[in-house]
Amino acid sequence: MIYFDNAATTAPLEEALSFYLKAVKDFPGNSSSTHGLGRQADRELEKARASILESFGLAKTHSLIFNSGATEGNNLAIKGIAHFYKNRGKKLITSSVEHPSVTNAFKELEKEGFEVVYLPVTEEGKVDPLSLEKALDKDTILVSIMGVNNETGAVNDLSALADLTHKFPKAFFHSDLTQAIGKVKVPYSKLDLFTYSSHKIGGLRGDGALIYLNKIKFAPLSDGGGQEFGFRSGTVNVPAVMTQAYVVKEALKGYESNLKHVKEISEYLRQNLNIPSEIRFNSPIDASPYVLNFSLINKKASVVLEALSEKGIYVSSVSACNSKGEPISEVLTAMGKSEGDARNSIRLSFSKRNTLEEAKTFVLAFKEVLEGVINR
Amino acid sequence: MNYDSLMIHYGELSTKGENRKMFVRELNKNIRHALKGMNAVTTFDHDHTYVRFEGDPMPIISRLQKVSGIQRISLVYKSDRDIEKLKEDALSLIKLEEGKTFKVNTKRGDKTYPLQSLELSRVLGGQILKNTDLKVDVHNPDITLNVDVRKDAIYLSSHTYMGAGGYPLGMNGKVMMMLSGGIDSPVAAYMMLRRGIKIECIHFAAPPYTSDAVLDKLKDIVKKLNVYQESVKLNIVPFTKLQLAIYQYVAEPYCITIMRRMMYRIAERVARRHNCVGIASGESIGQVASQTLDSMVTINNVTSFPVIRPLAVTDKLDIIKLSQEIETYDISIRPYEDCCTIFKPKKPKTRPKISECEYYESLFDWKTLLDECVENVNAIMIKDGEEVDFENK
Repeated sequence: MIYFDNAATTAPLEEALSFYLKAVKDFPGNSSSTHGLGRQADRELEKARASILESFGLAKTHSLIFNSGATEGNNLAIKGIAHFYKNRGKKLITSSVEHPSVTNAFKELEKEGFEVVYLPVTEEGKVDPLSLEKALDKDTILVSIMGVNNETGAVNDLSALADLTHKFPKAFFHSDLTQAIGKVKVPYSKLDLFTYSSHKIGGLRGDGALIYLNKIKFAPLSDGGGQEFGFRSGTVNVPAVMTQAYVVKEALKGYESNLKHVKEISEYLRQNLNIPSEIRFNSPIDASPYVLNFSLINKKASVVLEALSEKGIYVSSVSACNSKGEPISEVLTAMGKSEGDARNSIRLSFSKRNTLEEAKTFVLAFKEVLEGVINR
Repeated sequence: MNYDSLMIHYGELSTKGENRKMFVRELNKNIRHALKGMNAVTTFDHDHTYVRFEGDPMPIISRLQKVSGIQRISLVYKSDRDIEKLKEDALSLIKLEEGKTFKVNTKRGDKTYPLQSLELSRVLGGQILKNTDLKVDVHNPDITLNVDVRKDAIYLSSHTYMGAGGYPLGMNGKVMMMLSGGIDSPVAAYMMLRRGIKIECIHFAAPPYTSDAVLDKLKDIVKKLNVYQESVKLNIVPFTKLQLAIYQYVAEPYCITIMRRMMYRIAERVARRHNCVGIASGESIGQVASQTLDSMVTINNVTSFPVIRPLAVTDKLDIIKLSQEIETYDISIRPYEDCCTIFKPKKPKTRPKISECEYYESLFDWKTLLDECVENVNAIMIKDGEEVDFENK
């Protein structure tokens, strides 16, 4: 089996799983309970929170809300800020290639009367800081731009984008870092808020966090027992967040060596899949090496995906979140690609556990599939 | 007291003369299977099947409504032939009902009973008039109390539910149902089953051009059909090679026609092997290019088997409504491509000619590929909503 769909989800690290199992047994209490077991769980919860902020180097400046993952985090960051600070201004800015959990949150706010600017992207799929500069004004309260695009791996210059935003003191800068944590360099301290999911870095599914500047407040999405500073009610999954603290630390610590390893795989594939009559690469040269996206010129992506799947090779086409609806890539469309290219893209995405051997096997199998499958 | 039995009235069996016994036996076998695991005891005689139950009869009734060969189901109370006891019971039962007017309707199946039908109705009606505020209305009563006089007892009822009609499943043999995964074919399958015709299903898969997910979709559809037929065999034909060959040797407008002709050839051979006496499909005249009458003539030309098209003249909207009723609609609309959509020609022939088809079919020796399709059929057995282990033959 070759699993090249790590941007969809990555299997939990062995160590993370055993860490989790132990934590489930050792800390059975509800962190909101006031008895001994509860207090014990609460201490572990706060330790995990502190450890993660420490890992990002944000112990003094930022706070953290544990949640179910980036979809929830993005919704709370965007809607929570828009609702809480609506008296400061009504303008929101995002890009046109965000994950649906960002885009659709903004669409909801648009219905409520907010003005939303969807910044275009360059043909490489990045947000041009100049376009942000033009869009920003005194009425802007939030800018949300992703770190790494989930379909193409295009990396945004978060540092420049955040600096531009901060020229307007009322505006906060949020970034969806789901595909970025531990994979590219991120100027964490410049971000007012960011979100991620644990399962993309070897943690558990259904677990993630929203990290934000201490002074920021949110209108909560749901009402309840007031956990997580009143911003995210619901019993906290203490063993899961303990595991999260572990995988975040590992991901950041292993950044350099993992990058080198994955880059080798990615570059090998880019060279050996370079068949101009069959393939057009969509991922820019300086994209995150964890993602390699290309369009099939003559073949139908769904057919190639199925043929690879039959061989035990798992890749993805368009975005997993969208493939049940109309299978066309909004991201590639926004980058100005043709309809044929936007309908027939293949995304390979890697983790540190993939090997160069797998990449070599992939190339052979892929070429075989291209030969065996009829043109679209 | 309350209703304690169901009386099941047989469907179109009254016309069946000598075969009747066999029909009744088969139907009762199916009824017992449908009620497996329910708190119900089944007995039957020449005219009816009785189901004694405890508690809420509605779940039992809704299962029975899916058994083909049942005309009506009445909720009954088994009373006594003793007139005093009968009067008492009739009064108690009618008090359970809501309404202002009533009528007593007596059927004297046992002619030896001392009171005649009208007399008995009068006696019971008098009893009810005396003891309640109800009034008689023989034309449009709120409550109809049916009194069925039989040798063993007298049955009282006032609620009747419609059954599925048709004949007991299995009495009319078995057909090979062509199942694509779309909206129509499951409905066609249901209509066959409702008529008492057993089915086996055949599907043409063309991986990797069709997704593996289609198989799950088909299994889910067949599971819904298990309500009407305990176990259904699903035959998956590996169609890729043949389809690619069609694509290679046949002019594009004729691809779909030739593909359908090949499908019918294979379906007939698999059907004969599995003792089916016909082929059924969800085709509806005019719906798509391959389903015009002209297309059907040309496609049908390859088989001498009877091809049953239960939906031939049914409106699409009615088909959709039925598919929602049998709960296959939501499964059918899952967006996976089948082998018809993936090779969809830009301009398919709506009036394909047999002679043209025969010309294209002469350009290549299809026999080997056809044989391969038939030999490599993968059969899956789905019983009571579960896939079961099954020897591939």
